[in-house]
Amino acid sequence: MRAVTGSNLQPSRSCTPARRPRRITRLFAGLGLAALAGCAAPPPKDPDALAEYREANDPYESLNRKMYDLSMTLDKYSMRPVAKAYVWAVPYRVRQSLGNMVQTMNEPVVFFNDVGAGRPRRAGDAFVRWCINMVAGVGGLVDVAKYAGYPHHDNDAGLTLATWGVPSGPYLFMPMLGPSSIRDGIGYGIDTGLQPFNYVPRGYGLLTFNWAYNIMGMINGRADHLDALDQLQKDALDPYATIRSAYQQQRKAQAEAIRNDHRATVPDWYN
Amino acid sequence: MKTALSRRHALGLVAAAATLRVAAPARAASAGDARAFVSSFGQQLIAIVNSDHSLADKKVAILPLLQEHVDMDAMGRYCLGRYWRVATPEQQTRFLALFHQILVNSITDKIGDYRGVTFTIGNVASSGPDQAVDTVISRPEQPAFNAQWIVSFSSGKPMVVDVMAEGPSLRLTTRQDYASFLGRHNGSIDALLHALDHQVEAHASPAP
Repeated sequence: MRAVTGSNLQPSRSCTPARRPRRITRLFAGLGLAALAGCAAPPPKDPDALAEYREANDPYESLNRKMYDLSMTLDKYSMRPVAKAYVWAVPYRVRQSLGNMVQTMNEPVVFFNDVGAGRPRRAGDAFVRWCINMVAGVGGLVDVAKYAGYPHHDNDAGLTLATWGVPSGPYLFMPMLGPSSIRDGIGYGIDTGLQPFNYVPRGYGLLTFNWAYNIMGMINGRADHLDALDQLQKDALDPYATIRSAYQQQRKAQAEAIRNDHRATVPDWYN
Repeated sequence: MKTALSRRHALGLVAAAATLRVAAPARAASAGDARAFVSSFGQQLIAIVNSDHSLADKKVAILPLLQEHVDMDAMGRYCLGRYWRVATPEQQTRFLALFHQILVNSITDKIGDYRGVTFTIGNVASSGPDQAVDTVISRPEQPAFNAQWIVSFSSGKPMVVDVMAEGPSLRLTTRQDYASFLGRHNGSIDALLHALDHQVEAHASPAP
């Protein structure tokens, strides 16, 4: 998350690693959904306040704030110190390479979602990125594809659903997962299903790799946003509302970027 | 009659052509002007950031630069939203003074402590009546970030009216931050000013 003065706060998906231990996710998701029932606050009557309430799209604010406080407290005593130690101990270039690997491993999910969103050019880019980086980039550690003219682009099932016209639904703050919405929460589950790694037979070595990859991805993702989250906590009067606003705007901008990408499928080589 | 109509049509066409001739270069010029404006503003800002001065000195140098290039008062009014109308003139003045300082702090928080910050300018596109200038800001050993500067020409000279960093708008995010804070403090402008005062003071004192 970044808080550029206002704004570079990226309570983004990028701040959460691509995949996490799924049992924990399911547990928290289950608890969250169960707690949602009956938590919606009644809308205000004042027209101006009502407009703000609708803009925030957060009828479960009371529960979400509790989840936010819980997550921030846990983060303060667990992820943040670990991420700070990681930044202190691991050189920037190594951290960048590990970040590249996490991104490359997630490229199949981006590919399937690009196909789902009906954007073959983007799907082609994601596919080529995966091929180049897995081979020339030594298993994704070096982002060679970026230099070959195929920079990374975001996509996930929440965005695919958005391009299909599915509304976001109310805002949700998921414990330890960060800002989300009903649609994006469902999208997170779909993305887990779209990750080919989850279908590889689970030998002991792969299981070890899977855990190491998930934990490393989580620490690396948190480390990338250390300064930004610290600044956000310092600069915002209501960090919860700032994260909510930035998240909702960012998701909207990402969905718009996919909708507006009308590039031709075949590169224009001969002109 | 036929001649009169033809003459009227001809006059209309001439007027339309003249309008087009004036409007088209104006549009083209504003895109180029916006790029040149952001380039000049960015270079001056980066020169201060990359200097060897202390953070406090950098803040002092950045404030007049922002006041010259950013429509800070308009941004402040937007950020206060509906509460601007209910604030007293004294509260408005105090809010704007604090808001200027907060914008400076926001920028110095982001890039103030680095040396070797660079930026590159990308596309310029129309954004409603304004121009949106894409930039990529690189800081040493930090992920680069994309910032889009919204430049308005409505006052007669180019002024930044918003910054979109990786998607979210600075204006809108701050407005929703303040609205939420005020909503939780019974709409008390004094409570907001008090909190902003604290925020500015916290930035003035060195980090623990």
